[in-house]
Amino acid sequence: MSHRQRFKCDDVTPASQAPASAAREIPDDIFSTTEIPFPSERPLNVYAFDPSLGKFVGNQMVTHVRYESLEPGPIGERFAVIDYDGSQKTFYKPVDLDEPKLLMTHGLAPSESDPRFHQQMVYAVASETLQRFEFALGRRVRWRTRLDRSHPPAPRGASRRLSLFPHAMCEANAFYSPDAHGILFGYFKASRTNPGRNLPGQTVFTCLSHDIIVHETTHAIVDGIREHFMEPTNVDVAAFHEAFADLAALFLHFSHNEVLVDTLQKTGGKLFEYKLKGDAELAPGGTPAIQSQLSTENPLIALATQFGEAAGRQSSLRSALMTPATPEGAKDIATKIEPHERGSILVAAVFDAYFTVYGRRTFDLFRIFRAGGGSVDKADLPAPLANRLAMEASRTAEEFFTICARALDYCPPVDITFGDFLRALLTAHLDYTPDDPDRIRDALMQAFRLRGIVAENATSFSEDALFWPKVVRGSLRVPGLTFGDPNGLTKEEKDHNGDVLRAFALKNAEKLGFDDKAGEIEAPSFHPMFSTGKDGKLYVSMVVELVQTMRVPFGPGVPGTFPLRNGVTLLIAQDPPEHDKRPDPRVRFVIPKLYRPEREERVRNFYIASGRATTQPSGHDDDKRFRLDFALLHAGV
Amino acid sequence: MPRSHTASAKSSVARQRKPASRAAAGRKRPAPVTSDAPSPALPVKAASGLRVRMYRVGFGDFFLLSVPTATGPSHILIDCGVHAKDLGSIRAAVTQMAKDCSNRLSLVIMTHRHADHISGFGSCADIFAQIEVARVWMPWFENPANPKAAAFQASLVAMAGDLGRQFRARLAAGSDPQADQLLRMAENITGGLGGAGIAANQKALDVLHGGFKGTQPAHDYYKAGDPPVLPPDLAAGGLSAEILGPPIDDVLIGQMTNKNEQYLAGATESGDQPERLKPFGNAFRGKREDYGDKAFAPYGFERMLRMLDAAQPDVLAAQAQAADKTLNNQSLVILFSFGGKNLLFAGDAQWGNWENFLYGGAYGTPGHTQLTAKAQDILGKIDFYKVGHHGSANATPKDAVKAMRIGCVGMCSTQEHAYNEVPREPLLDALRQRMNDQLARSDQVAAGADAPANPLAGPLPNAFSAPEKQLFIDYTF
Repeated sequence: MSHRQRFKCDDVTPASQAPASAAREIPDDIFSTTEIPFPSERPLNVYAFDPSLGKFVGNQMVTHVRYESLEPGPIGERFAVIDYDGSQKTFYKPVDLDEPKLLMTHGLAPSESDPRFHQQMVYAVASETLQRFEFALGRRVRWRTRLDRSHPPAPRGASRRLSLFPHAMCEANAFYSPDAHGILFGYFKASRTNPGRNLPGQTVFTCLSHDIIVHETTHAIVDGIREHFMEPTNVDVAAFHEAFADLAALFLHFSHNEVLVDTLQKTGGKLFEYKLKGDAELAPGGTPAIQSQLSTENPLIALATQFGEAAGRQSSLRSALMTPATPEGAKDIATKIEPHERGSILVAAVFDAYFTVYGRRTFDLFRIFRAGGGSVDKADLPAPLANRLAMEASRTAEEFFTICARALDYCPPVDITFGDFLRALLTAHLDYTPDDPDRIRDALMQAFRLRGIVAENATSFSEDALFWPKVVRGSLRVPGLTFGDPNGLTKEEKDHNGDVLRAFALKNAEKLGFDDKAGEIEAPSFHPMFSTGKDGKLYVSMVVELVQTMRVPFGPGVPGTFPLRNGVTLLIAQDPPEHDKRPDPRVRFVIPKLYRPEREERVRNFYIASGRATTQPSGHDDDKRFRLDFALLHAGV
Repeated sequence: MPRSHTASAKSSVARQRKPASRAAAGRKRPAPVTSDAPSPALPVKAASGLRVRMYRVGFGDFFLLSVPTATGPSHILIDCGVHAKDLGSIRAAVTQMAKDCSNRLSLVIMTHRHADHISGFGSCADIFAQIEVARVWMPWFENPANPKAAAFQASLVAMAGDLGRQFRARLAAGSDPQADQLLRMAENITGGLGGAGIAANQKALDVLHGGFKGTQPAHDYYKAGDPPVLPPDLAAGGLSAEILGPPIDDVLIGQMTNKNEQYLAGATESGDQPERLKPFGNAFRGKREDYGDKAFAPYGFERMLRMLDAAQPDVLAAQAQAADKTLNNQSLVILFSFGGKNLLFAGDAQWGNWENFLYGGAYGTPGHTQLTAKAQDILGKIDFYKVGHHGSANATPKDAVKAMRIGCVGMCSTQEHAYNEVPREPLLDALRQRMNDQLARSDQVAAGADAPANPLAGPLPNAFSAPEKQLFIDYTF
């Protein structure tokens, strides 16, 4: 070890006279570095709701998305924001979020007149949504790259990055389009006669609505996860998509702490109330004289307020608690077929369960508060109580969001109904949280029952009957399946798994419930998952879709055929090695949607009824008509 | 041999088919018990003399139902209009009809307010001013005393007018067959602009509401399930009627208005051309070079732009189609019974209207996946069917065809090349199979000297006749 000088004065020797070998050897030090650590998060300004709420408590907030270096756009790993205006035929200048001035200020401040803030908000909210889903699912989400197998494969990298077009068109519409491999947001003039809180005729941007961004991103995520969910084979499918996307948007509201605390105080802890009292006290029966006495709508359970009001509708676009839990409400399931209205029944059911569980979890806090002489009816809640309630509300919302996201993996691969989703919710929850101290499953079950949502084929409306049937342990195995590691599979591993699964399906067709003569059984997706259970163990599993497509003629009077798909979702577990040998992966659940003549008839009639049988096949993409078109779904036509 | 129609639905279809098909061959049967008209002569009286006359005007409906009564035939006019592919024969046809009914109609039925069902009332207002009418039936949407319905119709027409202007603008920019067809759809709702800027359909409606000769008729506005009021001569003659559509329920109206507002917001208020709505200042204009190449990977700039353009929905087209369907679904659907014969006139009812009749509610929702017993019963006993919507596939559901009695006859007013896929041959084939080939098409006779019969439509089936060899086709029971 050489004796180094501890202190030394500035070296004044001119560089030219310095000895050539002056650089003393510094031994490598693996414990210190001058490199500035990468931040884990990037804070960005966004609207918590939309510009119409102005500076309403917490409306201007900072959201934190995972840090990544960004090109102007922003162009990141998962999203590319491309601001091309389809009706003006022009680009708008992209924002460079790595610009030092913007790094100091959480990006641009909220502004309606600067398109670069719009780009920033779209990027931030879409990223946040994706991260929440990936966190809940325990794996990466891929974007859909081609519409069906008859199309040429998309170029490499398309499954990684989705485009976002914040000002794609001049229309009161925003939608996810698999054709454009992106999400198109429109802008439009608010209604001149009935603009709500907007100025008559002002320009409204759908890309500034937090709810709309989450909603559309969720459509893209679901489409990436499930290959055949876009086929509207029954009255519930389109409604399911809408409801699921709305649920994602609504549960995200409860992560905005400031709004949450404010709402709790104004509702006396009853989060589900429609109206919030004004800030200023109003005598019972009195007429409000100033604006702060006006009661406002509860922002937590309303969706896309500005868009709804701007388009001339009286109240918000869709409110989460529209269908009451009464026999009257249960009738809706038999009469409402418009996707958004039907979807709101599902949203109401899930939210009923959510608020019920929130009530169970905060019941004790209210009792303690009342025991101490507090009254929840008169005064505003004290801040500490509101904070504790907010904690419970946001924790419960997080939990419900996670259950909903995970339930996607427990749905059959085709022809989803509300009843299937209920069964998926319950089974997913059972799998991750076998004990259920706050009776979440019971709350869900009752909420669905009260709204008339039942599961076809379930023998009774009890927990046991509603769980998907479990495969007897060890009676069905998939030898040779590779799980890789949490960072994903290599191409070779994927090809291998595809072969293994197809061979498995062929061999076990009968056991799984397929008729192997009816058509080839394909494996459109398989996703390994790595999750830590409540017991601290690491669980390695895989969700697999097996789908068989039959071409069925429409029958007399209607030419052509339609694809009828039968399928099962498999949940496969890899158990830890025993006696130094890794057991073959074991099938835990077979979640079926198999061929039944009634189902064929139902799908056929539904396609005919929705006009899909009548259009002339449009050349190369014959099956396009058997997919949902979000563009028209959201335009309200 | 009296037969009961109240037998359970399942067995009634199975049991009815055989005797019913023989009945078509001329067997006499007593009237169904639904007839409430006191008529002692009924049990012995057959349907003979009952006649349906279909006039050929192009793409439009124009039917005259003549019912034999003690005082000679009484006449029911069901629609009178032409829209696309006007053969110019409507005036001749209306003149003929006035002669056929000796300027006296017991009943006028307007199934719905599309131009192809009402234009004749406007364009031949002078002839109708010479015709006496006792009663007029319309769908409940036309009731001036129902403010909700009136507002709805008005907004629908306003929207159609606006859409029409936009499609005209598209056509001015260059020939576009799709825009042409969409324009036709929009103008079917307004009737197009007539003289003095008044929509032609409004003129026709004015005639229907009060442009007949002498004392104006009583007006009835019906929905499914209403017991209709027949003029005394028809009731005494033994005719009975049942209203099967359009459905009414508050949820539906709520949905309709809600939906309508949604598409209204898109269309009627967009007075500004999209080009003029400039969202941002010029300073924000950018160019392709502002982005790195990574932005357009992996598809590349050109392809991405094409994908973006292709994904833009034609919202206007969808609105026009939705409005067209909305109006078709307002159609009055009427089942006439006379002397044991049942005649179904379905207007242009599309799925939503049929759905209520066939399944008793929204198809696919719990409890509404099979034909109701009533629908099976009705379809299993019909003798005559006016093919809905000129033979388009969306206006006669497959389940309805399947349930129709084998051996009934049908009439279809149609004209080729007015709309894509109308008439829809496979549907007509399916109907023909059901009807033992006894399906008449209006284009099987000439409309006049310069509009000959359509050779592709084939010869007129032998159950029908064309007494003048042109202008109209008769079916006589």
